[in-house]
Formats: sequence, C-alpha cells, structure tokens
Amino acid sequence: MKVSEVPQDITYYEGEKRACYALNDKGKYVIVTSTGWNDEAVVNSLAVEELAEHLEETRKEVFAGTRSPLYYHMESRQMNPRILAKTAGLAVFRVKRHFHPEIFARLKPSLLARYAKALALSVEELKTVPEKRDERGNSK
Amino acid sequence: MKEATANKMNSEITVSGRTFIHQHAAHCESGVTAALFRDKGVKISEAMVFGVGSGMFFGHLPFIKWVGMPITTFRSRPRTLFPKVAKRLGGKFFTKEYRNAQKGMAALRNALSDGHIVGLTTNIYWLSYFPNRFRFQFNGHNIIALREIENGFRVSDPILDHPVDCSTEDLERARFARGPLEPKGFMYWVETVVENPDFRSACLAGMKESCYMMLKVPFPFIGIKGMRYLAKQIIKSPEKLGFPEACRRLANVVRMQEEVGTGGAGFRFMYAAFLQEAAELFGSDELAELSQEMTAIGDIWREFAVVSARVVKQRGQSEETFAKAGGLMLIPAGREEQLFKELYNLLRKLEK
Repeated sequence: MKVSEVPQDITYYEGEKRACYALNDKGKYVIVTSTGWNDEAVVNSLAVEELAEHLEETRKEVFAGTRSPLYYHMESRQMNPRILAKTAGLAVFRVKRHFHPEIFARLKPSLLARYAKALALSVEELKTVPEKRDERGNSK
Repeated sequence: MKEATANKMNSEITVSGRTFIHQHAAHCESGVTAALFRDKGVKISEAMVFGVGSGMFFGHLPFIKWVGMPITTFRSRPRTLFPKVAKRLGGKFFTKEYRNAQKGMAALRNALSDGHIVGLTTNIYWLSYFPNRFRFQFNGHNIIALREIENGFRVSDPILDHPVDCSTEDLERARFARGPLEPKGFMYWVETVVENPDFRSACLAGMKESCYMMLKVPFPFIGIKGMRYLAKQIIKSPEKLGFPEACRRLANVVRMQEEVGTGGAGFRFMYAAFLQEAAELFGSDELAELSQEMTAIGDIWREFAVVSARVVKQRGQSEETFAKAGGLMLIPAGREEQLFKELYNLLRKLEK
C-alpha cells in the first residue's frame, strides 16, 4: 500500500483517525492516518446492524412479556449469560431463570442491585426498557 | 498549523517529571510496548517491537467461538508480545495479575506514584472514550496509564492519535471485566533496560519464531496451513452454511483482518515495515527484497478484503463470488510460505 492508497473515504471513526502503514514515494514505510475505508465500513456495519436488530427484537419481546428487561440489558451490554453471571457473581442457571419476566419481577432488591452494578445501570433503568428503538444499544 | 497543535497535545508530563510523547500506533500491544521502552530511553519503533516480539501469525480456530463465530487471528496471542520483547532486548520487567479490583487499582496508583508509566490490559467495551462502533466485548486491548487526574487517569491509547482521560469507574470495569480471556487487572511496566540492546540478535530470535509459527506448527489451523484451510472453508461456505451465514463468516474474517489496530492487511504491512528496518540494521539486500514481497502480499490481502466486502454488500448479485474470495486467500498463502522459507534460510546466513 502506498501513502496515496491509504483510504480517506469517510469519517467513519467519529472524528478519530486510525494509523496505517504505507510506503512513501521513496519506498520507505511510514505511518499514515486514515479517516475510514468504505469496504471496512461494509463489513463492520453488518456486525453492528446485526446487534441492533437483535436488540430491537428483544425489546419487543420484553413488551410482549416473554423476556425480562434483564435479558435486554444483558444484550445491550453485548454480554451473554456466562459473562453476565461471572460479572454479577451468580450461577449461570440462576441468571437464565431471571430471564423469565414473572421470576424477574419477584427478585429481591439486593439481587437487583447486584445486576445493576454488573451492567453499570441504576436499578430503575434495569427494571425498564426504552420505549423506542435504541440505535446505539451500548451508549452509556 | 494543525500538526503543531497536535504535537503539543501529544506531549504529556509523567509523574516522574519526564516528557512522554504519545505516538499514534496501528496495533495496541506493539504500540504500548514500544512506548514503554521509549520511555526508558530505548529507541524502538512499533514495527520493530512487532517483529522482535514475533507478532506475525495466522490462525483460524473453528472450535473456539467469539460472538458466535470462529476466531480468525492475524496476530500472536494477546499478552505475549511484551514479555517476549523485554526478554529479547535483555530488559527487566514487571507483570502482575490481580483478583481483587480494589487491590489492583491501589497497585496501579502505587506504581504511578513510583514514577512508572504502566501498561494495562483492558476490555475495550468499557472504555467509553472509544467510538461506539468499535466497542465490543473484547478483553485484549492494551493502554498506558500516565498519571492520576481528578476522577480518573490520563491514558495513552496508541490506537488514538492523542492521549485521553479515562474515568476511574471505566478503567476499573475495563481492567476487571469478566468473560473469555479475562484481563484480571493485568499490568506491566519496564523496570530497567540494558544500554545499547543487541537489536540484531533480538531480530533474529523474533524472525526465527515467526518462521516456526507460520511454517512448522504441526496443527492444521495454524500458519500457512490455517490459511489454506480457511480458504477452502470460504469456498465451500455458501453451500454448507447458506448464503446469509456465509456472508457473516466472511465479513468476520475481514473484520479481524482490517478492524482496529492491524496497520492494514492483517499486520502484513507492519511486518513489511519491520523487515525494512531489519534490512537496514543488517545491511542486507535480501531482507529488503523480502520486505517488498511482504508488501505485495499485503496488497493481495487488501484485495481479498475488497472482494469480500463486495460479496457481502451486494448479496451475491455482483460478479464477485465466494470462490473468488477464497481463491484470493490461497495466493498470499502460497507466497507467504515461500517468503518464510526464504527468511528461514536467510537467518542462518545472518547469524554468522
């Protein structure tokens, strides 16, 4: 890759730049910053959109009463039951049980606090899910 | 003018009163390692660190799943680069893991007040200064803590082109995140370095190990064998997995190759930069030729990414196919095999 070939397609990194290795006109390697590459954006957005789609389905399931808000917040933190269980210091089967809305509704405040801490949310946030689709699931 | 302000922004004063110049790097681990050594007065580039620490690698691990997909990696295992470089350059270094988050954070504060700058392994998801798109649950990101500030730490993240502030809460979560490859608060720094380290023998050791990893590991998923295996998998994937899943898998390979911190083409350009530096060090024309060959190989990897992105984007409507993408991976496999064989033979000559 030559310096002139380093992609400067779009501002894909939210204002940040990335370092690329490229050859200058004397044939020496230098680090050049790149603002983004369309082809990379295609594959990355596939993954990001997939997460967002999945999260949206889960959000609807919570409103339909088939999953608990805990499941939604786990997904929005891009965790799986194993990671959540380890972070909260619980057994995986207990965490999975709490994905049922009726069981989740009966949880003790101490357990809720534990989940809230693991997911970096307040207990109030943990008990509800957003009314509208959340595009950036993982915003803090 | 823009550059002048950028330079001002990138120079930081550490606790011990030294000036720390933040340098933008392509890869987190090599960037951090190079910065830690530079802080102790060793002049070393990121590419040199990458070569000396044998960062070059290929592995496709179908049985280890990450976000539901097999892992494809273009670099050596996280956390191995720093110790390897430190050993090969003959420096003394400190590494430690912590189980308890409070103790880990206290140890970090102590180390900073002792005048060290400290390398940390973190989970990239919890570092909220990153662009949202790049925040995934990945436990192998490396950063440097420079000093403590109000409610947090001043952090040099080599992936970004300027130092940033990171809140204590973020950093604690990132350092003690759970899940695969847990960082466990891993922190490290360079204690002492030898004056005028022997770069030549360090380079030779690094290159030798890379040759071994690429050519001789008796395991079908590693090195050149892994590339050929993956290429075949890609060619077969639409029939075997169905079109949408095949697209996901292919996109994942390209993400691993080009996403945050490879310097382009899955580290191949960075390795070419290393070979170029080594060529100067040894005054060897053969190494310079190998560097050019590695650049050409990197360009093919780039083309593989372009073709794959088209396959994914056009949903099979374009002329580009999985067979072409897979075929494009077989070319670098063959050429890299040749390159590392030549490098291996060259090493014996250089050792004399």
